[in-house]
Amino acid sequence: MEAETIERAAGANLETPSEQATRCHDVPRHLASFYHLNRVPVAGKFCNGTACFVARHLNRRRWAEAEQQESRIYCVGQCFAAPAVAVEHARPYMEVRARHGVVLGRLIHGPTRTLQSYASLSGYKALEQALDLSPGEIVETIEDSGLRGRGGAGFPTGRKWRALLAQSSPERHIIANADEGDPGAYIDKYLLEDDPFAVLEGMTIAARATGARHGWIYLRAEHPQAKPILETAIAEARAANLLGEHILRSDFSFDIQVVMGRGSYICGEETALIRSMEGKRPEAQARPPLPTERGLFGQPTVVNNVETLVNIPWIILHSAAAFHAFGFSQSRGTKVLSLNSLFRSPGLYEVEFGDPVQSIVDDLGGGLRTGSLKGLIIGGPLAGVIPPHLLETPLGFEELRAIGASVGHGGVIAFNEHTSIPELVHHVFSFGGYESCGKCTPCRLGSRRVEQIFSQISKNGGADYWDEVEFAEITAALHATSLCGLGTGLAEFAESILRYYGKELEPCFR
Amino acid sequence: MLSLTINGRKIEAPEGCTILDALRQHGFDVPSLCHDERLKPTGGCRLCVVEIKGWPRPATACNTLVSEGMEITTHSPEIEKMRTTLLRLLAEHYPAAAIAKWPDKDFHRLLREYKVAPPERVGAHAGPCAFQDTTHPYISADMSRCITCFRCVRICDELQGQFVWHAWNRGDATEIRPEVPTLLASQCVSCGACVDTCPTGALEDQTILHLGTPTVWTRTICPYCGTGCEMHVGTRDGKIVQIKPALDAPVNKGHLCVKGRYAFGFNNAVDRVTHPMIREDGKWRRVSWKEALDCAARNLSETLDQFGPDSIGVLGSARATNEENYLTQKFARVVLGTNNIDCCARVCHAPTAAAMKAVFGTGAATNSFEDIEHAAAILVCGCNPTENHPIVGARIKQAALRGARLIVIDPRRIELAQYAEVHLQLRPGTNVPLLNAIACTIIEEGLRDPTAIAQRVSGWDELQKFLRSYSPETVSTTCGVSAIDIRRAARVYATSKPAMSFHGLGMTEHVDGTDGVKALVNLALLTGNFGKPGSGVNPLRGQNNVQGAAHMGCEPNNLTGLVSLEQGRELFEKVWQTPVPSTPGMNLMRMIDAAAAGKLKALWAIGYDVALTNPAAAMTKRALRSIDFVIVQDLFLNELAKECGTVFLPVASPFEKDGTFMNSERRVQRVRKALQPSGESKPDWQIICEVASAMGWHDAFALESPEEIWNEVRSVWKAGAGITYSRLEDGGLQWPCPAEDHPGTAILHSDSFPIGARAQLTCVAFEPKGESTSLAFPFVLTTGRNLYQFNAGTMTLRTPNVRLRRSDLLEMSPDDARRLEVEDRDRVRVRSRYGEAVLSVKITNVVKQGELFATFHNPDVFLNNVTSPQRDRVVDTPQYKVVAVDVTKIENAPEAYPLEFIEESDPALAPAALEN
Repeated sequence: MEAETIERAAGANLETPSEQATRCHDVPRHLASFYHLNRVPVAGKFCNGTACFVARHLNRRRWAEAEQQESRIYCVGQCFAAPAVAVEHARPYMEVRARHGVVLGRLIHGPTRTLQSYASLSGYKALEQALDLSPGEIVETIEDSGLRGRGGAGFPTGRKWRALLAQSSPERHIIANADEGDPGAYIDKYLLEDDPFAVLEGMTIAARATGARHGWIYLRAEHPQAKPILETAIAEARAANLLGEHILRSDFSFDIQVVMGRGSYICGEETALIRSMEGKRPEAQARPPLPTERGLFGQPTVVNNVETLVNIPWIILHSAAAFHAFGFSQSRGTKVLSLNSLFRSPGLYEVEFGDPVQSIVDDLGGGLRTGSLKGLIIGGPLAGVIPPHLLETPLGFEELRAIGASVGHGGVIAFNEHTSIPELVHHVFSFGGYESCGKCTPCRLGSRRVEQIFSQISKNGGADYWDEVEFAEITAALHATSLCGLGTGLAEFAESILRYYGKELEPCFR
Repeated sequence: MLSLTINGRKIEAPEGCTILDALRQHGFDVPSLCHDERLKPTGGCRLCVVEIKGWPRPATACNTLVSEGMEITTHSPEIEKMRTTLLRLLAEHYPAAAIAKWPDKDFHRLLREYKVAPPERVGAHAGPCAFQDTTHPYISADMSRCITCFRCVRICDELQGQFVWHAWNRGDATEIRPEVPTLLASQCVSCGACVDTCPTGALEDQTILHLGTPTVWTRTICPYCGTGCEMHVGTRDGKIVQIKPALDAPVNKGHLCVKGRYAFGFNNAVDRVTHPMIREDGKWRRVSWKEALDCAARNLSETLDQFGPDSIGVLGSARATNEENYLTQKFARVVLGTNNIDCCARVCHAPTAAAMKAVFGTGAATNSFEDIEHAAAILVCGCNPTENHPIVGARIKQAALRGARLIVIDPRRIELAQYAEVHLQLRPGTNVPLLNAIACTIIEEGLRDPTAIAQRVSGWDELQKFLRSYSPETVSTTCGVSAIDIRRAARVYATSKPAMSFHGLGMTEHVDGTDGVKALVNLALLTGNFGKPGSGVNPLRGQNNVQGAAHMGCEPNNLTGLVSLEQGRELFEKVWQTPVPSTPGMNLMRMIDAAAAGKLKALWAIGYDVALTNPAAAMTKRALRSIDFVIVQDLFLNELAKECGTVFLPVASPFEKDGTFMNSERRVQRVRKALQPSGESKPDWQIICEVASAMGWHDAFALESPEEIWNEVRSVWKAGAGITYSRLEDGGLQWPCPAEDHPGTAILHSDSFPIGARAQLTCVAFEPKGESTSLAFPFVLTTGRNLYQFNAGTMTLRTPNVRLRRSDLLEMSPDDARRLEVEDRDRVRVRSRYGEAVLSVKITNVVKQGELFATFHNPDVFLNNVTSPQRDRVVDTPQYKVVAVDVTKIENAPEAYPLEFIEESDPALAPAALEN
């Protein structure tokens, strides 16, 4: 048990959610040392993310700054302008390429930050409808829609909700995971900042469906601008009786609070996120128990990604069938892709599942701005790289999985010949080592060891045979024995490199 | 049961069992570094991965549950390769020298097994952990050997609940160290759990660094408090070098406190007396055993002849075994023909025994420590378990952290109060009205258990009427506690079922101690909190065998088994073949009175420093000095010996003999000899037999071994008849255990009470008598104990524990300190109506304004000069907990600091050596 539980014992059961939230912000020194953005302002920081790394030749000075800064910061959500420096008002190009803008429908017309403007765009109509449905009916609708988590794992959302609904504990939680920091994906940042009510409405419907009373938005420290926007939106919703006690005079009560992250990629992993909120060291936890059985403060909890939640009101309003009609196979609905600055037309694109990856490069991105495509990193660096010869693969959870890649969070990072494979491996493993929580051996020590080997290669021009053996062994150990997705993701990346780019590595090991 | 296959072999395992447990139960094993059966599995090191048929990836055995039909492979070449890779990563920045020096450490053994050696490659980066600490007398930290298994962090959190070790930073920069630069500066309680679990020796016992590793291990029982922890004593060249907790012990579950784990240095203290002595003309002279025994026998015989049996008193020892205490009282009753026999239960829990015997019929704890884990609420009343029964304290703390609701009744803000939902910080001496008010609330608010009252309890109508005048609002001022809090406490206790209570000397050492315990028992009866798991009334006994000493018959009014003289006479006379004396005996306090009146002519005190520990020391000493002949039987020349000893008989320590102890929860456990008796010392039982023999009672005391004595105990004590030495080899047994096939009794009063079908509620009136403050004595002083020292300090003051707690301190509230213009560590004189003592001040919020607290361990301070001669109205237990005093600051007084003992005792443990 952690030190912080002393305070829990002093009255966990008596604490109000706001007291619990206060505790989330007040952490002892040893715990604060886990995070890299304790009271560090983000604005003006140079991004070390993967999109910025592969675009470093576009602005060498800026990248040099990024490499020299004291605490690295992986992805400030401006991959469309990489290499990026965090600024407050940068906005990407946005376009809906699906039959319907499920997610970007409002966003493409600009920010919707007031309740009035949100309501004028059919906002909260879905909640009104949902209040007439039973929780079971809402869950069933979401199940029928085929919606899967947009945060990476692609777990069926309805199934997760049903698991929460089945719990007996009266205290349950909905957490919006606004801390998904896969470098390369920036859709959540702009949903949170420019369509906050959609997130709140999605959460409120989720709460109605699952019987949760407490809602939380765990917000990345890298997105501080979203905080006042969300808090204002929450206050407005509360004032309009869309949050709080007896929402719209029904018997349903629910409220939402924003909790700020302090800088840690692993907190996007739901078990680590929950521990972070509890004021514990945010290490990934072995499952079971699943958060839906024992989550926040030991109580049943659903953690949903921001984009996932934004899909909810649309599904309720337009029916499960309408949503299911988009996409293909096991991947239904639309997905927002975040294209990086190496494309001719970077930005956010909402597409239907099923199109070949090639069309992302050509039709959305308009090809590369410089050089020729060497590979695509979809869903963040902790997944397999897609080499040019596999671009015919259709965009779908299972389809990409079959080639060792992943839909992930929908970040699409193209890289060209300016990025050598050893440099890419070094970049990805230094990211992994930097963000490892340190709990399990392969990730804590293995990622750093691989980073060292490849740092040696770039410094000395090569490493020895035993380093190559060790790289392979660590990759195998990461794959087979890591505790959470960070370690296995590193392994998937390394395996794809060995499989598709092995030739380029050969001369590195003598 | 589920059936599964491990490496092709079919086995069965219960549902809910982890793969690792299933493996180990069936003789398989997998390597592991982060696992410790005392901790929740965490799956961090990943070495215990196994292959499961049909699973996409290997799974960690430590935290994966078995399921039906699982096919597990533990050592496939792939898995073994993974383990080698992981071990190689762990060894990357590990100091190679340590592996050669400490080959038996878990991590080192694994490296050998997997043929992994730390690389000699240049540039292998140093590990992130830099924390080093050699300032602690017992625990050495060298985190360059840390492999980040988090076991120290977890055991400190999950077993002790101290939260000393923290993980800092993240990833491969993760570093384990406390919040402050040294362990001594942290909230560490030196329990050594972190050392015990460390798989590399990054955390190590100072003792083995200086004295070497043990060559022989002996399982025995801790010689300190009444918790009765089981431990392994490691010896080397006839000396104790390390003590470790027994993992499978039901009482302590692989945990010990600083006293049990580390405070063994007294065994070899330089001033330990290991030869008999006789005092002539004020000087001690070394003599042979024959001369000493003859002198003892002759003087006792002469006193008998001249003044009769009732002119002699015998004191048994709460530190001696059951067998020895049985012989002690047998000696008094058979050889001397007197019931003047007592032990230190008189000054601690005699009121508990009397009250609980009166109400239930059995004067002992109703439940077991195991029940802590089943209780929904725990009432801690007048005891400070985290200091005085640290293992019980840690278990209560863990229960509170898991959500058990805690109520603390104590004048001081003790550590458990921080975990309590309600802390009733009552004025010392007001237990009775406070407990009555809780009972009153239970009745008033309809929180009682009507079924229990209807079926098992009598006296309901009377109590209901009686308690009307004890509403919380009425007693609030008297007790100094708000009525609201009293009501809250009542609601927590009565509505969170089951609820159990623990109490200590804060309940008993009062003029109305027996009454207080009866008032506490009322609460259990009213709410039906008895006879089931997680309930009951449970005194925490102070000394390792105080329960046993009294139970074996070292009480003037009871024979072995708490049987009254009348009830037991027939049986005992048959076994002893001699009449049991019928004159009522004197208890300890009456013996002192008799001595003062010149009527007690001889005293035999076995392992009991009554001069230091009795209250109102001036009066006590005056009385003791008027006794003609005093036999002192002890490890050291204690205050009693110095004051008035005539013959000194040196005894074997608890590490040097066999026998049994009985803990607080009625558990009889085996004490085993780890060392030969030092010098010429002998076990108490042998000395008693030899004196008896010299006085002509050879046949009745022709007992050759502790087991033989125990078998005689079994013949007179029905409830213990089933407890045999051979059964005790498999672990302790709780009485009643009347037959050899009886499993023992963990919970009393399940169906009925020994006293009958119903237990009687008691109308306990509060009569505010005894000590009161005045202008001349404006403060109330409470006395008690502290984590690092034990009772008379005889043992702990002769160990490096002195470095953890130098001496007795006077705890004073900041307000009082300001008013008296004293600062921390200032020397003050504490004066009562009975005497004075000088000690240092510790300013703390633990005590309330107007109240003081001090420990009584140090003979150089001699706090009992100050305590009062008032006694419990029923059983004469002294009122140590309330004395009115005045405090004045004094300048330039040296601090009492008995460090010389350890400086001389053991060069390896002396501070100079420790600071290397």
